[in-house]
Amino acid sequence: MNADLEKLQESNKTELERRGSIFNIGAPATEAVTIRDQIAVGFGDGTVRFFQSGSDPKTVKAHKGVVLSMTNYEDHVLTGGEDGRFLKISSDGNIDEIFNFGSKWVDCVASHKDTKVCSSGKTVYIWTKNKDKPQTLEHPSTVGGLAFDNKGKRLAVSRYGGVTVWKLNNNKWTASNFTWKGSHGTVTFSPDTKYIVTAMQENQIHGWRINDKADLAMRGYPSKIKSFTWVGDTPYLVTSGSSDAVCWPFDGTEGPMGRKPIVVANGGKELATFVKALNGEKAVFTGFTDGSVLLAEIDESKKPIMIRSSTGSEVSTIAISSDNSQILIGDMKGSILLSSLWADN
Amino acid sequence: MENTSQVPVTVLTGFLGAGKTTLLNRILTEQHGRKYAVIVNEFGEQGIDNDLVVDADEEVFEMNNGCICCTVRGDLIRILSGLMKRADKLDAIIVETTGLADPAPVAQTFFVDQDVADRTKLDAIVTVADAVHLSSQLVDHHEAEEQIAFADVILLNKVELVEDNDIVKVNDRIRKINPFAKIIKTTRCDAPLDEIVGLNAFSLDRVLDIEPDFLESDHDHEHDDDVTSLSFVSDTPLDMDKFQDWFGNLLRTKGQDILRSKGILNFKGEEERYVFQGVHMLMDASPMGPWPKGKDRSSRVVFIGRDLDNMNLKEGFENCKSA
Repeated sequence: MNADLEKLQESNKTELERRGSIFNIGAPATEAVTIRDQIAVGFGDGTVRFFQSGSDPKTVKAHKGVVLSMTNYEDHVLTGGEDGRFLKISSDGNIDEIFNFGSKWVDCVASHKDTKVCSSGKTVYIWTKNKDKPQTLEHPSTVGGLAFDNKGKRLAVSRYGGVTVWKLNNNKWTASNFTWKGSHGTVTFSPDTKYIVTAMQENQIHGWRINDKADLAMRGYPSKIKSFTWVGDTPYLVTSGSSDAVCWPFDGTEGPMGRKPIVVANGGKELATFVKALNGEKAVFTGFTDGSVLLAEIDESKKPIMIRSSTGSEVSTIAISSDNSQILIGDMKGSILLSSLWADN
Repeated sequence: MENTSQVPVTVLTGFLGAGKTTLLNRILTEQHGRKYAVIVNEFGEQGIDNDLVVDADEEVFEMNNGCICCTVRGDLIRILSGLMKRADKLDAIIVETTGLADPAPVAQTFFVDQDVADRTKLDAIVTVADAVHLSSQLVDHHEAEEQIAFADVILLNKVELVEDNDIVKVNDRIRKINPFAKIIKTTRCDAPLDEIVGLNAFSLDRVLDIEPDFLESDHDHEHDDDVTSLSFVSDTPLDMDKFQDWFGNLLRTKGQDILRSKGILNFKGEEERYVFQGVHMLMDASPMGPWPKGKDRSSRVVFIGRDLDNMNLKEGFENCKSA
């Protein structure tokens, strides 16, 4: 290659791209979770790869077909696949098949301490410690998302027409329904567990204040919201789906009701596809349709920092190592950037 | 805009026993050198075992978008977005529906959901009909009528079991409901796969294939809720504003009864042909190049649906003619 051209390309790279490593896996990165100093990534070719600074990733051939869902569980990851298998995988490549649902996909997974949860179709399956047989929770339509509250006492299950929140009392789950017309996907509890929020099939997110089931409809997005993340102490719920990262304040007794969101990290013509909080900071990483990633404070007067330049493929996942030292960015073409967040690392 | 990376999706309908499973097994096992994923319904016939088969549950959802007849297949949105994350690229996806399913929500999913529309495209609705039983099914089940009405291709299967003059009768019955579908007569669904998959039937330029032969209004029928078709031709150029007012209002108020609509339009003062095609209230429309030289610039529209006689379609269309 022409030396000048090489120099030019080098100068167009971001600081993090220059000091990081780039891996081309060749299959879409679908999910990423952090386990201690490693970041596990699920791919569209069924592999789970464990990335760690300074070494090549370890590849585990986990599923036949797409890794649809993933979460961390103790020192392992739990994965759900297009092959109908619900797996527990360790970073040394040990695969434990928890259940095989055959030709039904395992769409969602969740965990809390020693409890493993997955959904397949309309049913949620819960495995608790020392029990071989799962408890099952039935729903009127296919499950779109699963989330535990921070104590593991409540499990939110999103579906068509709203969310069922299951509460655990004396080893029995009881249901409470939160209703809103339309199909609900990814679901989350606010960190203070006062709200639940879902991403809908329409271009909107919907929330409920849990104590009185008051509705919060957050609309005006030009595309579907595929990702959200809680940021800072306020806290803000930061969402993708727009040309900016849209940050809804959830402080006070009313949360975002009747208030406007803050918008940061403008991507110009590109739409945000993935957002991830920087732990302990009032800042968020925002990935866009062209593969670029910006880091922005939740402050409209501050300028965002370019973390990754355009790759031409939409950002599908971002993960930060648990000690806040490493960032991993993956896209739909399977390009992975692993880099240290801080210069003197 | 046409996006070449969109995976074509064929929707396969037909009553239980018509031969859908035979066709699916052919698609999955024949050496065609292509990779097809098949989405089957949970109540389907047994006998398909393949890594590329996905179980679906035909969940029909109302969209929360204010459109009263806008139902979509929620499970299809989920499954198609999952399939698009595969490392290996699929050549086509085939969606099987149960015999009693209404094909509209499947078709509407491709109009309404942006993610689905970005990555996949509705290729054609293919209906497998049982030549022996179709006539009685059409009397007993309105779903059978709808499956014929929505179809771009109809495989009239099991023709070996029916006398020739009965085939002609069934053929005429189909034509009365749906004048533009391609009818292929088969034994054990033995039609060439390239006449079933990869047709691009929902592409707007295919609207130009509307055969003028079928565009003769003919609607003697027994029940008011029968599915019929009506078509109109005009050699007088249409007024664009008048047409948009009439047609927009028609789909808004009568869209539930209009199963499919298609047309080629000659607007006064416009050099290009306009084409549209719709499913219930949803439609796609766009200019489609200049009129071919030496041919008549006539506007042609076709409606397939219920209760078409009470929509004043002829009068409405006539009123769109430019003064």
